[in-house]
Amino acid sequence: MKQFILTISCLTLWINGAFPQVAVIAHKSVPVDVIEKSDLLDCYTGDKSFWSDDKRVIIFDLKEKGDTRDAFYKYLGISSTRMKSIWMKRMLSGDADPPEFLESEDKMLQKVASTKGAIGFVSKAKVSDKVKMILLLPREGN
Amino acid sequence: MRIMRTLFIFVTMLCLNPILLAQGDEYPINIFGYFQNSFQHWPQSEATTTHPQYLNPTEQSARNFFNLQQLNLFLSKDISQHWRAFVNFEVLNTFSSQRQWGSFNLEEAWVRYKASDQFSLKLGLLIPVFNNLNEIKNRTPLLPYIIRPLIYETSFSEFFSAVEEGAPARAFAQVSGIIPSGKAKLDYAFYVGNSPNINNEREIAQTGADTTDTFLIGGRIGLRLKNFKIGFSATHENVNLHFVEIGIARYDFIYNEVSRIRLGSDLSFHLGDFSFAGEWIAANYGDISEIRIDGEISKDSRGETSFDGKFYYGTLGYLIKERVFPYASYWYISHDFTYIAAELPLFTAVGITTIDGPTVGLSFKLNDRITFKGQYLSVSIKDEFPIPFSTIKLVQEQRYKIFAAAASVFF
Repeated sequence: MKQFILTISCLTLWINGAFPQVAVIAHKSVPVDVIEKSDLLDCYTGDKSFWSDDKRVIIFDLKEKGDTRDAFYKYLGISSTRMKSIWMKRMLSGDADPPEFLESEDKMLQKVASTKGAIGFVSKAKVSDKVKMILLLPREGN
Repeated sequence: MRIMRTLFIFVTMLCLNPILLAQGDEYPINIFGYFQNSFQHWPQSEATTTHPQYLNPTEQSARNFFNLQQLNLFLSKDISQHWRAFVNFEVLNTFSSQRQWGSFNLEEAWVRYKASDQFSLKLGLLIPVFNNLNEIKNRTPLLPYIIRPLIYETSFSEFFSAVEEGAPARAFAQVSGIIPSGKAKLDYAFYVGNSPNINNEREIAQTGADTTDTFLIGGRIGLRLKNFKIGFSATHENVNLHFVEIGIARYDFIYNEVSRIRLGSDLSFHLGDFSFAGEWIAANYGDISEIRIDGEISKDSRGETSFDGKFYYGTLGYLIKERVFPYASYWYISHDFTYIAAELPLFTAVGITTIDGPTVGLSFKLNDRITFKGQYLSVSIKDEFPIPFSTIKLVQEQRYKIFAAAASVFF
């Protein structure tokens, strides 16, 4: 029995460790303190392109696949391939430009902090007071 | 003298720093595009007829060819937070002005004012929203096909009039937007443009800048709910149709400013890795204006006339490992035509051309920029000539098989 509990505990720790908790961050000027999942999806699909203060929504994405990016798209309920095809369609029909794809979470933090109207995502441990956290994604499996 | 000195300093500064004027420009210009090269193998076609004594369809010999099907070059620029300019150049069928191959078109050049997500206004040459595919019919990186559903296959537009007739090709002003309603979203678009080939001065061919007194009006209302999308489209415009038949006499069928109404609907959805897209379009023409026999307006012509058409397609596909997309598709066109069934007295009848094409294909996304495609298509083109006052129908049919491979590159 002890062995079973130990195994479950190790597995839980491993899962929590493997999938970091992801935070959605925004530039401090963004007039939103908490963002709904549906609004977040609209921002990333381009259906929402202005904040309530008439500033343009600027989205950032991560270049490489990784746990943070996977957890973010899993939460949105859309695959990154499908998202890319939505953006390709918007770009080729002249509707909007695709998000800028950044090399790392540090770069994401830096870009969101310095771009008015910007929104992005990083693991919770990376969040600093240069940006505001507008959503904390539930942990994987919770 | 002071003016000269100021001018000298200004010019010197410009020469020393040629990007000076661009430095304050917050929004850069984006230049991007794509092209699709294909190889197609068409074995010899099969030709059949029910009445060889009247109809003699000939088989087309086999052909193999490489083709730069399409190249598009886009320029887009945000002029300010709410304004954007967009230009789209399109080159078709291995364009060469020297060899008089293919075509080079300015497809789009518009400026958009986007007040909010609920309202935007586009002004300038634009591809209007009609059904699901019209606006993106030429965006080969988005489509798995090499040969698209026929009325959207722009590279056939030089040879096949239904490409222009099935869906509106251009408009000049469009309002559109997305209105959220609970979990659903309502899309709308309304537009106006020129009637496609109306010219007030009939002796002069249309120049593209003619004064017309009739216009294209149209729109689409759509509903989106998660991965499910449905829409209804409609257009109205007037068109000039004119064709000549020579029999015992010369017959000029003149259709001036004939009303044409198109109705369309589209449905598409994603279910896991499965996706489906389908459309239906009906084009209905008004009555014939006049028939001239040897230049004189005929008062006693009888029979029926029609140019109405129908089109639909459906494509079902499955995405494997986010890279490979096998699909099966079927498209169908039927198109009425008017022919002379008897000359003395003149008696017209309506025949029908049907074209259908079951197809299977596969696209493989090598990376975000390069997609390889393969497609097999079986096309049947059937002309039916019903004989008035009888049950006899003369039928001729051509069957083509097409094997195609292509690479679509986004840059």
